[in-house]
Amino acid sequence: MKLSKAKIGQTFTVQNVEGKDKVKNFLFTLGCFEGEEITLVSKLAGAFIINIKDSRYAIDEAMANSICVSI
Amino acid sequence: MKIALAGNPNSGKTTLYNAITGKNEFVGNWPGVTVEKKEADLKRKYNSEGADVRVVDLPGAYSISPFTSEEAITRDFVLGEKPDVIINIVDGANVSRSLFFTSQLLELGIPVVVALNKSDILAKRGDKLDFNSLGKELNCRIVPTTATSGTGLLELVKAAIEVGKEQKKQISPSFDGKDSNDSKLARQKYIDQIIEKYQVKSRDASKVNISDKIDRIVAHKWLGLPIFFLVMWAVYAISIGGIGGYFSGYFNETLFGEIIPTAANGFLESISVHPILQALIVDGMIAGVGAVIGFLPLIMVLFFCLSLLEDCGYMARVAVLMDRFFKKFGLSGKSIIPMIVGSGCAIPGVMATRTIEDINQRRMTVMLAPFIPCGAKLPIITLFVAVFFPNHLWVGPSVYILSIAMIVLGGMLLKKIFVWENTSQFIMELPEYKVPGIGHAAFQMLDKAKAFIYKATTIILVCNTFVWFAQAYSWSFQPVADQSMSILASIGTFIAPLLLPLGFVGWQLGAAALTGFIAKENVVATFAVLLAVASEEALHLPGGALSQFFTPVTAFAYLAFNLFTPPCFAAIGAMNSEMGSRKWLWKGLAFQFGVGYIVAMAVTQVGSLIVYGSPAVGFIPAIIIAAVTTVYLVLKIKKSNTQRANMEIAA
Repeated sequence: MKLSKAKIGQTFTVQNVEGKDKVKNFLFTLGCFEGEEITLVSKLAGAFIINIKDSRYAIDEAMANSICVSI
Repeated sequence: MKIALAGNPNSGKTTLYNAITGKNEFVGNWPGVTVEKKEADLKRKYNSEGADVRVVDLPGAYSISPFTSEEAITRDFVLGEKPDVIINIVDGANVSRSLFFTSQLLELGIPVVVALNKSDILAKRGDKLDFNSLGKELNCRIVPTTATSGTGLLELVKAAIEVGKEQKKQISPSFDGKDSNDSKLARQKYIDQIIEKYQVKSRDASKVNISDKIDRIVAHKWLGLPIFFLVMWAVYAISIGGIGGYFSGYFNETLFGEIIPTAANGFLESISVHPILQALIVDGMIAGVGAVIGFLPLIMVLFFCLSLLEDCGYMARVAVLMDRFFKKFGLSGKSIIPMIVGSGCAIPGVMATRTIEDINQRRMTVMLAPFIPCGAKLPIITLFVAVFFPNHLWVGPSVYILSIAMIVLGGMLLKKIFVWENTSQFIMELPEYKVPGIGHAAFQMLDKAKAFIYKATTIILVCNTFVWFAQAYSWSFQPVADQSMSILASIGTFIAPLLLPLGFVGWQLGAAALTGFIAKENVVATFAVLLAVASEEALHLPGGALSQFFTPVTAFAYLAFNLFTPPCFAAIGAMNSEMGSRKWLWKGLAFQFGVGYIVAMAVTQVGSLIVYGSPAVGFIPAIIIAAVTTVYLVLKIKKSNTQRANMEIAA
């Protein structure tokens, strides 16, 4: 399931991340890669607020579409 | 000895740097505040042995491979310039993410000391980290610090100097799969492992916290924008209308308008100074510099408010809020940060574009951000509003609305003209909110005040002296009876025809616009000098001496012209380095000049027709220019459309 379709407040496991290598590598350094936990905290002003490790990030819909998660 | 500070964005490097060097560099609560390296000597207090220690503050980076251009600065420095010691600042609020970069730094061979910063947050959360064992695991010393209060910094610096003196090669920790193809993954796994071992978390970070609750209001789909406008309005209301405006009014009208010139004249006459020297001092230096210094209170309050805003964590949320709208015309949500920073000064504003990853979005932001009136443009706005629109409260704010409108329209136009693929995605870390530091804001304010006075008494003083001289003498260095025979008049006359379609008549307007490119404060200062000589009336009074040059409509047009045409030389220099190529700098300057010119022309000609019922001077050339511009833009957009279509076919 794409993260953009996920339910708010739930924690998921990242399955894979698609898209450009540069963005993929960046998300990787933040701790967003296969097998890691990711939480969709809320949706605000068209952005997705996610929690990876101990930090909050806001990502746009395109990036939320490129992250595949499972429960 | 050279100590470099490196670590994740927003981990507190600059706060720590300020504390141990006694500097007062710009800090804020969003990732990517520091965009260039800064260097200073270690403060005496931390340097008991008096060794020669330089401290280098670097932009934040999440890893050694850069994502944005300011991260590249950090990589280039630690790899290229080989500091003697690296102090790696680990964000106590997110230790596991920080350690990824730490483990990479440990492999460079340069001795590393880890500062476990924000240890107060760690303690408040109830998380426990066995940093002694972690230090043994990583082969480096870990010192818990709280940079905001100074806790642990003495010990940290002592440790750094010690390992720097030993000059032993740093031994990096080894882990399974370090040399495998997927060493990145192995590294993350290793860090997860040691975090599991040494950190006890009592808080679930994924649960909704207070920051999230605030976010749900300030970044709300509908409420977000009104709240943002309200906040910005409050900042300006306090600095321009409130305390700042009150004191500036007093400075301009009474202090520099009457008291100081009268006193100076009296004093100079009493010691029988030569009348020419007296004129130079009173009409040239005091009038010009005074007209600028008068705005000091306003600038100070503005920077104080901006500093509070930047320190609390709201900026990152504004970027999120704006992304949705800015995407529509080719910008990123992060483009709002250069604009807010630029409302103080365009130079740090333009530099703040570095955090925008996509080069095209960055170039567009560099072109558009200077449209927001900076602190130096405020004197022009305040002066013109005071003289021409004393009873129209809407005029001041309308300047900001006009500048926002031009950013939107300019963005849409640029998106049509330039051909590029827009595939960039938005990601921004949202730091937790914090109570802004009043002390830091006060220091920032004093720093800006110092810089402002310095600028007024150096570059602006020199310009004013030149302006005074150039309006009093002819090319053959003979004093002139009439300003219109002077050097300045002949320079101004040379430019004047260009300004005629805008309804600006008179060499004085050309001369003032020209000095404005050196520093925007000069526009006000030049008028002050010209009018101090030519007239007895105070500059800032409603309907004052300036009204011989302008009607209210052309006054507003002149404001717009100064607002949108390229900023001062220093800001153009910053634009040059951020654009990354001379070609793009020229494109940007041409765009800004075009916008300033056309907007001023439209205000004058359309405004005169509506308000006075008759066209302003230069109506015919204005129509010709408008027609030529329209044809040019239509052709240009057509060409770009064809290029885009070709690109799609090729793809």
